[in-house]
Amino acid sequence: MAAPPLLDAQGISVDLVRRSVSEPILRDVSFQLRERQVLGIIGESGSGKTVLSRVLCNAITEPLEITAGSVGYHGRDLLTIPAAEMQALRGREIGYIGSDPGSALDPTIPVGHQIVEKLRAVQPDMSKQAARERALEVLSAVRMPRPERRFDEFPFQYSGGMMQRALIVDALVSNPTFLIADNVTQQLDVTVAAQIIRLMHDLRDQLDTAIIFISSSLAIVREIADDIIVLQEGRIIERSTPEAIVAAPEHDYSKRLLERIPRIWAVEERAQPKTEGEAALLEVDDVYKTYRVNDPTRFFGHNDVEAVRGVTFNVKAGENFGIVGESGCGKSTLSRLLSWIEAPDKGSISFEGESVAKMNRRRLLGLRHRFQLLLQDPYNAMPPHMPVGRTILEPLLIHGGMGRRAMRNRVLEVMNEVGLPADIYDHLQIGLSAGQRQRINLARALVLEPRLLILDETLSALDQVEQSRLLEIFDKLQAEHGFTYIFISHDLAMVRRACTRIAVMYLGKIVELADNHTVFFNPGHPYTKALLSAVPTIEERRYDAAENLLEGEPPSPIGIPPGCSFNSRCPLAFERCTTDEPGLESRGDGRISACYWANASEDELIAAADANRARRAAGEASAP
Amino acid sequence: MAFVLTFLIRRLAQGVVIVLLVTFLIFTLLRVIPGDPVRIMLGPATTQAVVEARAQELGLRDSIPEQFVRYIAKAVQGDFGESYFIGETGIALTAQNVVGGKGQDTATEQREAKMTRAGVLKVIADGLPYTLMLAGMGLLFTLLMAVPLGIAAGLNQEKWQDRLAFFIGSVFISLPNFWLALVLILLITARAGLLPSIGYKGFGYVILPAIVLAVELAPIIIRGLSMSIAQALQAGYVSGGIVRGLPWRQIIVRHVLRNSSIPMLNLFGVQIGGLLLGGVFVTEFVFDYPGVGRSTVQAVLQRDFPVIQGVAILAASILVLANIMVDLASTFIDRRLKF
Repeated sequence: MAAPPLLDAQGISVDLVRRSVSEPILRDVSFQLRERQVLGIIGESGSGKTVLSRVLCNAITEPLEITAGSVGYHGRDLLTIPAAEMQALRGREIGYIGSDPGSALDPTIPVGHQIVEKLRAVQPDMSKQAARERALEVLSAVRMPRPERRFDEFPFQYSGGMMQRALIVDALVSNPTFLIADNVTQQLDVTVAAQIIRLMHDLRDQLDTAIIFISSSLAIVREIADDIIVLQEGRIIERSTPEAIVAAPEHDYSKRLLERIPRIWAVEERAQPKTEGEAALLEVDDVYKTYRVNDPTRFFGHNDVEAVRGVTFNVKAGENFGIVGESGCGKSTLSRLLSWIEAPDKGSISFEGESVAKMNRRRLLGLRHRFQLLLQDPYNAMPPHMPVGRTILEPLLIHGGMGRRAMRNRVLEVMNEVGLPADIYDHLQIGLSAGQRQRINLARALVLEPRLLILDETLSALDQVEQSRLLEIFDKLQAEHGFTYIFISHDLAMVRRACTRIAVMYLGKIVELADNHTVFFNPGHPYTKALLSAVPTIEERRYDAAENLLEGEPPSPIGIPPGCSFNSRCPLAFERCTTDEPGLESRGDGRISACYWANASEDELIAAADANRARRAAGEASAP
Repeated sequence: MAFVLTFLIRRLAQGVVIVLLVTFLIFTLLRVIPGDPVRIMLGPATTQAVVEARAQELGLRDSIPEQFVRYIAKAVQGDFGESYFIGETGIALTAQNVVGGKGQDTATEQREAKMTRAGVLKVIADGLPYTLMLAGMGLLFTLLMAVPLGIAAGLNQEKWQDRLAFFIGSVFISLPNFWLALVLILLITARAGLLPSIGYKGFGYVILPAIVLAVELAPIIIRGLSMSIAQALQAGYVSGGIVRGLPWRQIIVRHVLRNSSIPMLNLFGVQIGGLLLGGVFVTEFVFDYPGVGRSTVQAVLQRDFPVIQGVAILAASILVLANIMVDLASTFIDRRLKF
């Protein structure tokens, strides 16, 4: 290797110092970054990734302390050069993009103005006008729609994905020699995250920027990195290439990391329960929910947010029904309607053949016995001052009709069922893990012997191992008590493992509903394909993101234009899609898809995609 | 900017309701608590029959809702009634002045006295410039003390600046305002003769009462400011700003102070409005300072219903307007806020 490395990190150690007690965070971390190289660093939360990223730009603050090591850069050590010189490098030659785009900028100042502020801070000789032009130029380069208008908008007016784009602009606007990207896709939806990764890929080819790409997901890092470093508890335990680490990881820890990545296609499918001819447990018939929000731009004005727009499905007893979609697709609103926390504006929901809307209060309370909602965050869903046993007991008190001793026994029985040790009955929840808390949450729902459990992102906060354990408990309970589950989630891998039938939602509607196998192997809606093409995975992809995932984000739920909501991002869209909305078309065997191409043959799809590509190319050419 | 108009109309409508409620509450309380203004007005020597006749004349024997409706009907036309005790020339109409003590032809003298009673608006207008000057100086002293201390404490949490601010705040908040006023009068005016006080004969008379006000208000500002700055320092844009290459000074001045000004503004609207008003009443009374506050305390002691009601409406209106302005200012600093 002839060229000297761009960055040469040697023996970096960092301690967390609290009241004179030191705890090691990084130990003897050494690596080199070449010009234009993309170096991936992976590790779980707590492995010291983010601390390392901050060491590289010498932005370590108390209580952290660098105890050893050097970062060589152009013949100097970044850790020992004077603060003023480091200040001159930071933001100018060293770009940094963090994991939380929502809070990285001052919420009270327009985004563009902050980019200009940064540019002028690192290049003081630049005029305001020149800085503005440069910022707009880079905003266009990252394919920000309508950059002129976006420039003057505030951070809260940006979606997560757009904000991350703006921060990429912010980092690249000064033409840095290397860029640190710390978990940049962590908070983004899959399709948006895939677009961001693709963007970074393109930028890397266009610019002469080396990238240090840090992530907790090997599936994401391997999409972009040339080389990979695995970090565990502050130490580098393996250096490899993406191909090698997936094919043959050396270290045990890397193997475990690899095993924990959920598989999408190579999964043992659940057998569809025999539900033929049985009456539906839950019938949802054409429900709508619209929220009214104030419109600050009009005098006494308000806007309608159409959260759920005509959703229809049935769930039969013993089924595992999945509802998937990205942020803002209406799945959380739907879960609130299903659990009758809110009433739909239109349409009906029937439980065991009886319409919930027509029930009186007492009947409804009795019904709540039989369907229970479980939420994502096990920390906020329970009163922290209440002992575990008392927390689980609460619903029995509310619904009444049981003696003290009987209640206690029932609680202990349920705790045993969900795998909680009986001796924590009188403990507070402090110190319990997220998994155990979620079990308490589950036990509290089970204590009433429900028939239907609505699980709104219930497993999302848990790691893979804990997810598997809880799924096993769900299976066992289903076998013993005949429960029915509705899984509402953004996590395709989880739904793939847990569900028998799956509904895919987009902008308040179900766009596809089919059995598990069909959704993943023969999807009928282009949005489903886009989702599948975007999921980070180490398996061979069945759907190519380049073909299935176009640029863009879902339209606003305020003032939805006519036509198919997906047409702006659809690789198969044609004229009719922009004016008439396709209804749900049957594909046989109860499979439905809201697309004109639902029953098209392979050849027809290819022709449609070609026609669409030509149309888009023509559109771009005619645009000014 | 249509929301500004929507906002103002909505908030002003709410404000009218609030002011009406406060007025009704004060109006009712005044009439149900013990103490008859007519008896105080006419003195202990007057017979019950004369007192009753006078009370009838003033309409004080009608039912409270009846009196209230009559009062409000006049008030919306700008007529807030007349003081029972203060004359047109500003001289207090005591029982001796009014009734004369001779007992002869009291009816004519009363009529004359009634002719010379000062309007509530005039009582307030006479005192308001003095009160505004006192409140303004009090706020100025408060900010001069609290802003540097609060900012220093917020930027240096758990260092000596923070401890100093905490110490000063604790001492100040423990000093009762009337006690501090008396001590300052005794030490600064009487003993040392450095600054004048008691009454008003020139600008120098404002300084000591303003200091008393500032000592009362400063701890709240110091605490609020240091807390909101410390909180703003935790925000992502601060650590983000460092790695983005912004100089530390710029992060503090352009972003941290800007963001922490919003909770400060709200503190101003809610806390300071109430405290400042309350503090002004006590301070003016102790310093015999000729503002609205002193008149109010006197009015309360004498059960001078029209003056108390007038001041209540004024105070409630000031609070309502101050809060509307604070909220409007906040929305301009942070566009996410839409009240």
